[in-house]
Amino acid sequence: MSSTILRRACRKPYTILSRYQSISTLFQSPSIPKPQNHVSGFEFQSNNASGWFSSVSNKRLTFSCGSSLNNTLSFSTQAAVVPSTADGLTVDGIVANQWTILDESESDWKSHASAIAQSIRLIKKRLQWEKLKVRLEMLSIHMEKPDLWDDPVNAGRISREYGSLVGKMKTVNSLEQELIEHIDMIKLAHEEDDPELESESVKALLRMRQSVKEKELEALLAGEHDLCSCYIEVQAGAGGTESMDWAGMVMQMYKMWAQRHGYGVTVVDEMRGEIAGIKRATLRVDGEYAYGYAKAEVGAHRLVRISPFDSAKRRHTSFAAVAVTPILGDGSHHVQISESDLRIERYRSGGAGGQHANVTDSAVRITHIPTGITAACQNERSQHQNKASAMAVLQSRLDQREMARQAQMNAQYTQSLTDNSWGNQIRSYVLHPYRMVKDLRTNFEVSDPDSVLEGEIDDFILSFLTDSMDKENEA
Amino acid sequence: MNLSSLARASSLSTSLASRTLHRSIARRPISCFYSPPSINPKTPLFLRPPIFTATLSDLQKWQNWAKTLASSVGSSFTDSDNGPDSEILHRELNWLVQDALENPNPLFHMESKFETVMKLRVDLGDLYTLWKQRIETRRPFQYVVGCEHWRDLVLSVEEGVLIPRPETELIVDLVYDVVNKNVDLMGGLWVDLGTGSGAIAIGIGRVLGDGGRVIATDLSPVAVQVASFNVKRYNLQDKISVKQGSWFDPLTEFEGRVAGLVSNPPYIPSGHISGLQAEVGRHEPILALDGGEDGMSDLLHLCNGAALMLKSGGFFAFETNGEDQCRLFVDHMESVHKNSFYDLKIVPDFAGIQRFVTGIRL
Ligand SMILES: C[S@@+](CC[C@H](N)C(=O)[O-])C[C@H]1O[C@@H](n2cnc3c(N)ncnc32)[C@H](O)[C@@H]1O
Repeated sequence: MSSTILRRACRKPYTILSRYQSISTLFQSPSIPKPQNHVSGFEFQSNNASGWFSSVSNKRLTFSCGSSLNNTLSFSTQAAVVPSTADGLTVDGIVANQWTILDESESDWKSHASAIAQSIRLIKKRLQWEKLKVRLEMLSIHMEKPDLWDDPVNAGRISREYGSLVGKMKTVNSLEQELIEHIDMIKLAHEEDDPELESESVKALLRMRQSVKEKELEALLAGEHDLCSCYIEVQAGAGGTESMDWAGMVMQMYKMWAQRHGYGVTVVDEMRGEIAGIKRATLRVDGEYAYGYAKAEVGAHRLVRISPFDSAKRRHTSFAAVAVTPILGDGSHHVQISESDLRIERYRSGGAGGQHANVTDSAVRITHIPTGITAACQNERSQHQNKASAMAVLQSRLDQREMARQAQMNAQYTQSLTDNSWGNQIRSYVLHPYRMVKDLRTNFEVSDPDSVLEGEIDDFILSFLTDSMDKENEA
Repeated sequence: MNLSSLARASSLSTSLASRTLHRSIARRPISCFYSPPSINPKTPLFLRPPIFTATLSDLQKWQNWAKTLASSVGSSFTDSDNGPDSEILHRELNWLVQDALENPNPLFHMESKFETVMKLRVDLGDLYTLWKQRIETRRPFQYVVGCEHWRDLVLSVEEGVLIPRPETELIVDLVYDVVNKNVDLMGGLWVDLGTGSGAIAIGIGRVLGDGGRVIATDLSPVAVQVASFNVKRYNLQDKISVKQGSWFDPLTEFEGRVAGLVSNPPYIPSGHISGLQAEVGRHEPILALDGGEDGMSDLLHLCNGAALMLKSGGFFAFETNGEDQCRLFVDHMESVHKNSFYDLKIVPDFAGIQRFVTGIRL
């Protein structure tokens, strides 16, 4: 049902036109070409093979209007303009000049401009600029196909990804444009001997220098699902009470981290240890970029300490595994769950039930029979709501599984962070004989485990995201 | 309190009477046993205005006391009558806090200041009383907070009205499936017999189409009041009417015109009543629980009525005590009402217990 709505909404011609509009303005194209016949995949490939990127500016228009060759002729002769100042300075040019970057407090426009240009370059790198362009072109060709909406789910996904990539491209292009305009203004003010305007313009440049820093961070979280809310699942390793206690501490760490960020936090499912801690638990974290950050926590977390549960006061090593799955919005699910594939059970129920029993516990577990994947919920106050919550967890896990499967088929995405890596040890928390938390992937370390266990894990997350981004780009 | 003990006394005598009048149509003598329905239903805790205050530290004192009390229970209730254990009681305590406070967050954050003034929907002293009642007298949590979360509804409940059970939620799913396959039923007249808090009727009212209507009946005046309150809260008074009376008595004018009939009638065998979990046996109305010697008296009565009331193609769904009752019920239908019903089905609940019987009027 929802897919028909989607289909209708997306079919509206203006939706498509406005997309064309947005992408054409990206390249400062003067008019909006009308989409006509589509280019076949084959044509595109031969296009691409013939050095598409060496003459990006011309060919871009081929895909932005996506029409037949004769129709594009008039546009392909117009080069898209790389933003440059009146005297021909471009963003790449600024980077190449290597002007010294001074402290923000120094009112030196060249220093500001250089810092901004560096940031833009970093953002492009993080967005995997070249790959993004290829991907965008491929998507736009899909968008052209007249039979696109025969598979509305896929079509929805394509048009969403397309929209999001266009958005990113626009953001970067307007940053470049803005930088160039500021510089022009400063130079103009200088020539016209207008110190007031000049200092105003330098201030504007400084503001841009500060705001572009945030964009750097956002660019780290540019994955398809990074913006989503997520589930964080923690499971105790072997080792009885000590490791269940550890799993409980890890869960607590994420709860406090999420609260610090102002995220909504709900324990959906929790199986407590008999003496302490948890056997496993699922936390729902609601808010922007929750998944983008939390995905950096996937893997095994190791604790070394003198166990308070060991009367002989020996040193113990225990593990807790962390999995993170994104909560995709309605309509972007990768898997359509059919009711007949589900087994729904009340658990922790006993006795005759019905009128015999007064219960406030209406925990429900759902098993997806074909895959054996299960999800449970017991924190809600009605069985109906527990079932709905468990269904949402199940959906997220099945989506995750499907994305992993697709990633395997698509070499480009194999390095995605979303792979479940239960067996992969990522961080070590040592409380004895010395005190230190160390990320084994980045070697980032902190000598105050208490603050980390109270949820201060942002530095770990950011260093990992930066690191893996760089590695991905090198690859 | 007064009213509920009165209702209990009276329903005890009705169930005595029912044993003598066993299987006669109006087997329970009606209203003369009840005090006239005088008071309005109590407002559930979460709907009351937050006119009381307490400092965070005083509240924490209460919370710690309440936690200790909950922990002291251990598994003793579970061992004696399958009642709640400490873990469940701790969760209930969190829910009580959610219902009683305007903004419970500071209680759960360590950084909060002790002198923060918290707004309450009930006096702090009463919070002590309420939790004491929960643990010491085993007063059901739902009566303590005055509501039960059921499906996506929050229904007002109080002593004298059965707290709707999670199993019963499925009746609404069964109806949902049926009406979505059949427009005629979607826009027809539905009846919920023995509606209690109005749970099933409201659930159905929300899945029926524009033309659909529900009549909910109950013998208990408290149930009628509470059901009417809940119907109004969900703004369904134009779609659902609540009538007082014994089973089909208030419905004679609709004979042969009913599109759907659902009920969760009392089905516990009389002999089991004394051994029930304390929350149920000591606090819920016996009129809502006692189904006669084998627990089937009301079910069989409803079965006979269904043949009379339903129009051709009409659907029924009844809740039972489990496999044995489902069997007996189906046997009865197949022998006594041989040519009245088809598509008889026994449907299990999520615990795997054969819980419901459904069928269609020929
Ligand atoms: C098990 S409760 C079910 C309440 C509600 N339908 C639910 O599922 O939560 C049975 C209901 O039947 C009502 N009842 C008992 N005897 C009745 C009778 N003779 N006529 C009508 N209702 C009756 C009780 O008052 C009670 O509300």
